[in-house]
Amino acid sequence: MSERGKRGGPGSRRPVARRYALALGLIALPLLFAVFGPLFAGPAGARGVSFTGGQGHWLGTDFAGRDVWRQVLLGGRSVVLVAVAATGAAYLVAIPLGLAAALTRRTWLAEVLIRPLDVLLAVPSLLFVLLVAALFRPGPAELVLVVALVIVPDAARVVVSAATEIAARPVVEALRMQGESWWRTAVGYVARSMRRTLAADCGIRLAGALYLVATAAFLGVGVAPDASDWAVMVDRNRVGLFLQPWAVVVPAALIVALSMGTNLLFDAALQDPDERVGERL
Amino acid sequence: MSPDRAWLGRRLLLGVGQTAALVVLIFALTEALPGDAAVALAGDQPDPQRIALIRENLGLDRSAGERLLDWVGGLAHGDLGTSLVSGRPVADLLADGLGPTLVLAGVTATLLVPLSVGLGVLAARREGGPVDRTVSGLTAAVHAVPEFALGVLVITVFALRLGWVPPTAIGTGGDLWAHPDVLVLPVLVLLSRPVCTISRLVRAGMIDAMASPYAAHARRLGLTPTRVRWAHALPNALAPAGQQLARTCDWLLGGVIVVEALFVIPGLGTVLIDAVAARDIPVVQGLAVVFGVVTVVVNLGADLVTRRLAPRAEVAA
Repeated sequence: MSERGKRGGPGSRRPVARRYALALGLIALPLLFAVFGPLFAGPAGARGVSFTGGQGHWLGTDFAGRDVWRQVLLGGRSVVLVAVAATGAAYLVAIPLGLAAALTRRTWLAEVLIRPLDVLLAVPSLLFVLLVAALFRPGPAELVLVVALVIVPDAARVVVSAATEIAARPVVEALRMQGESWWRTAVGYVARSMRRTLAADCGIRLAGALYLVATAAFLGVGVAPDASDWAVMVDRNRVGLFLQPWAVVVPAALIVALSMGTNLLFDAALQDPDERVGERL
Repeated sequence: MSPDRAWLGRRLLLGVGQTAALVVLIFALTEALPGDAAVALAGDQPDPQRIALIRENLGLDRSAGERLLDWVGGLAHGDLGTSLVSGRPVADLLADGLGPTLVLAGVTATLLVPLSVGLGVLAARREGGPVDRTVSGLTAAVHAVPEFALGVLVITVFALRLGWVPPTAIGTGGDLWAHPDVLVLPVLVLLSRPVCTISRLVRAGMIDAMASPYAAHARRLGLTPTRVRWAHALPNALAPAGQQLARTCDWLLGGVIVVEALFVIPGLGTVLIDAVAARDIPVVQGLAVVFGVVTVVVNLGADLVTRRLAPRAEVAA
């Protein structure tokens, strides 16, 4: 049932290299802004008139009269940090859960661990985020937990299917018969064997987390209404789109580039004939 | 016939389980509010009158089990509760917003299937060719781009710079059918993500199917390439795409919420966002139940269709 078919034969090295280049080109700028932007932002200047161009602000001013360029430099960190932290947190839950379900010989335990995830998968992700937002008014830290919770079912499914396949190998049987501990078998062999599949899956989850975090921020979840955040900038400066498009276009373009770059990077890795990561994805 | 029926039974059971879990989850989240829920919900306007209203409306003086039973009983009769803000029944609010959302989702869903299947089949015609590379690259790039960022860029280019279509739905009063030009950009943005994933799956499925022995045999029998492609290979290629429909429904729902906010369309998404901002819990709960049940039903339908197209595929359960 390989859905990848016979894509990317030995001759397809060049297009893959081109894809890597395109992906890195797209991701470089937003990532540089996100990581180093705050270091170069400098102190907040005096607030000017809302939605004007020029006057020392080369990208103009935003809805509160702040310098758009400074907001752009500051605004990437929260999106990237929350998304990365949420993906990490999701795997922190998904990997032990998946390993436990795949390696146990008690069927009922696997069922108890996995069935609730099937049910959770039916909950629309943005709806869940909004529901939590309506009740608890989450901040960035809580948003990490919520987004992680949304990602866990998918991630755990991938872990289970990868680990189940590996756990059926003769090596695992041999390890068991030698009386190796559960820990040695699970972490020392099974978890190590599936790290490539997980690396590929990680890209998909990260792209999903970026989407969810940015969209939540756009809808006002997990951020202050005047936060320096690209998604918040797009939302709040929309009213001035006719007067001062840069306050919206620049952060929106950075989010698009970040998201496209992440996708293309992991897609190129999936198709790379040299690496062959994640055969079954 | 009997394994089929057993599968159907298990699948329906999963659907029922998902619905029940959803209802309990939505209810339990409200229970998880720290301290006195009424005080917490009153939040910015903590006057005693409002707190009393919330307490009465949510029935906070009764036990949680009693309230859950009451709420579920109401849901079964189509009673979704009463808004804390306007005092109107949630069902009324829902009916108001339903029209624009249905138009938006309906037009998108109608265009989605032919567009993504066509694109996938087109890309699969010559694997690795220039068309395939372009389509694959583009679909890989776009499939997780947030709708609001894409939408704002599209508005800037096509509505503000070029002036081809209106930038928002302001002034239409929610009657989208009367102003089809207003629909162009929202539908375009809504289509962006699902078209990408489904066409990728169709492409991969088509490449597998066209290389399979039965396709080769059909060609040997002298069937035209068109017939082999569309009548023999495509149904098998659609099976994995059908399973993706479940995820697509999730995306369309999220997309509709964002797109309605972005293009100022007075649909269910706008009702939901307004209720979230006002912490109008009964409205949020009612909408969550409706959206959740729609998702469960669509998933169920998608699995049934997939099962019909390729009966050996083990879907769900």
